Amino acid sequence: MKRISINPITRLEGHGKIEIFLDADGNVANTYFQVPELRGFEQFCVGRRAEEMPVITNRICGVCPEAHHMASVKALDRLFAVEPPAAAAKIRELLYMAFFVTDHATHFYALGGPDFIVGPDAPPAERNILGVIRKVGLDVGKQVIECRARNHGIIRMLGGRPIHPVAGLPGGWSKPITEAERQTAEEAARRNIEFALFSLRLFDTIVLQNPAYMEMAHSDTYCHRTYYMGTVDERNRLNLFDGRIRLVGPDGREFATYHPADYQAHVSERVEPWTYLKFPYLKQVGWKGFCDGPDSGVYCATPLSRLNVSDRLATPLAQEQFERFHEAFGSTKIDGRFTPVHHRMATHWARLIEMLYAAEHMRELAADPEITSPRVRNIPQTVASRGVGSVEAPRGTLIHDYSADSNGILRQVNLIVGTTNNHAAISMSIRKAAERLIHAGRIVEEGLLNRLEMAFRLYDPCLSCATHSLPGAMPLVVEIRNHSGEHIRSFRRDG
Amino acid sequence: MGTIIIGIGNPVLADDSVGLKVVDRIEDRLQGRSGVALTRLCCGGIHLMEAMAGHERAIIIDAITGGGGAPGTVYTLGPDGFSQTRNVCSSHDASLSVALELGDAVGLPLPRDVRIWAVETEDVSTYSEVLTPEVERAVPVVVEHVVRDLDAASGVSPGGH
Repeated sequence: MKRISINPITRLEGHGKIEIFLDADGNVANTYFQVPELRGFEQFCVGRRAEEMPVITNRICGVCPEAHHMASVKALDRLFAVEPPAAAAKIRELLYMAFFVTDHATHFYALGGPDFIVGPDAPPAERNILGVIRKVGLDVGKQVIECRARNHGIIRMLGGRPIHPVAGLPGGWSKPITEAERQTAEEAARRNIEFALFSLRLFDTIVLQNPAYMEMAHSDTYCHRTYYMGTVDERNRLNLFDGRIRLVGPDGREFATYHPADYQAHVSERVEPWTYLKFPYLKQVGWKGFCDGPDSGVYCATPLSRLNVSDRLATPLAQEQFERFHEAFGSTKIDGRFTPVHHRMATHWARLIEMLYAAEHMRELAADPEITSPRVRNIPQTVASRGVGSVEAPRGTLIHDYSADSNGILRQVNLIVGTTNNHAAISMSIRKAAERLIHAGRIVEEGLLNRLEMAFRLYDPCLSCATHSLPGAMPLVVEIRNHSGEHIRSFRRDG
Repeated sequence: MGTIIIGIGNPVLADDSVGLKVVDRIEDRLQGRSGVALTRLCCGGIHLMEAMAGHERAIIIDAITGGGGAPGTVYTLGPDGFSQTRNVCSSHDASLSVALELGDAVGLPLPRDVRIWAVETEDVSTYSEVLTPEVERAVPVVVEHVVRDLDAASGVSPGGH
């Protein structure tokens, strides 16, 4: 058996490794998706005061600390049985929309976009943001940097610190915003909308009008007919910050909608012998292995998934794009809504549509006169035994679940982070891409390998915070089994 | 302008936090110095480039693995020495060298003088707020190096204050 290793996966958080095992004929026998072994975060938190969590959990990872901060603060609201005043809820969401814009923009231009803008066959040294600038002009680079600076400025202004906000408290926010700050946020939102529209036009020109890319996007290689997860409001519109979690089936029909606190009734976690990663799946469908279809409980929680579970988007320009998106992929209607788009490469487009939605919603929030109310905190009076908070992180539905004693000391902590939801789907995409792209030993051309990485990268996986879930300090041991389940090989992974 | 001192790391990931702990100590030594700013980052790449922009000099302190020395070994590197990173926090966007080239291309005022102090780690995969003993012992060593860098930049001779 011949082994091909792609290590490291370029441009991903943390460290991943894709292993592909070929059979005697040089065809793919198995693929494995591996990540580094950062574990024990929940145990690290147990015994601490619950109110420390918003500033500790946002250290899980340097990429989406804002998402952890918000899920944590929302969990604390429940744990301390206190509702934030309206202005505090809006400030939180305003910050969160600024974060979404900058995170999605960074992914598109620095991580996912180079595959399309520079091209999947370009040398790896050119498939980065510099390659993007060379292809589409220096002004784009300036706009990306300005977008980041503008939104980090908003995050610092509202959250007290850039990147790692500290202002979230159970029952509200630590400081109100002034009229001048509101105006700054409104102007930033206006420019974010312009940049999102510019990015969608760029995507249109470079990807949608390129027959080769569209053929790749529509090909069966990057297509899985799974269930989808995402958060929606009371009218089943996309909501990145708050709402009920909705599941739709591969045919587009609603499968379930539930309060985030009830997640354990809907999601179970599968453990595989070859990795410390857990593979969440839908409990009521069941685990049938790494396969798609209505009988497999594998689901996906990504920008594409969120568009697939939403009846519509709540802002006008994003709604236009939402309709255009579904029409481009030939979606029909079921129960009055679009049928899902299963082509995973569409995730990149969905990400840009979400960026536009976040920018438009940011402007709505900043224009709301109530947001400058000085009343931003309700003081907790009691401790409930449990609090669950969730948001849509850029990489998927994020859940923080805390149990505490009567003094607010944490007794149990469970986190399901965005990337974790997608572990099974990521493994499937890698497998399928490998099967389609490697035949009879014909392998290892850079463009070919990059296409495998593209299958991975479209999920924008954040490995460093997705690998916290098991206790222990053993290095990762990978075991390989044949189709009968017999162990045929194992090796240890260095730290 | 002036000098920016940047500590990089995850404060709850054992030795990965060494850069942050060095910066905490340096902060106490900066009383009365002008033209020196200090910041803490959790990731490299574009974030790091953005933090350096607008300063004449940058001194970066970070954890390193695979540098070849025993845990606690202190290295000094130029920006090219950081082309491959194993920072578990993030390589979300770009390597530092790509990020610096990007900053240059879009006209950000980047420091002409970048020095990196790195400490070889023992453990960067356990959630902990304390350093391993060898790495802990390296903290004052790096602090002295950085203070000497600052003295040299401001024309103060060693032991001159």
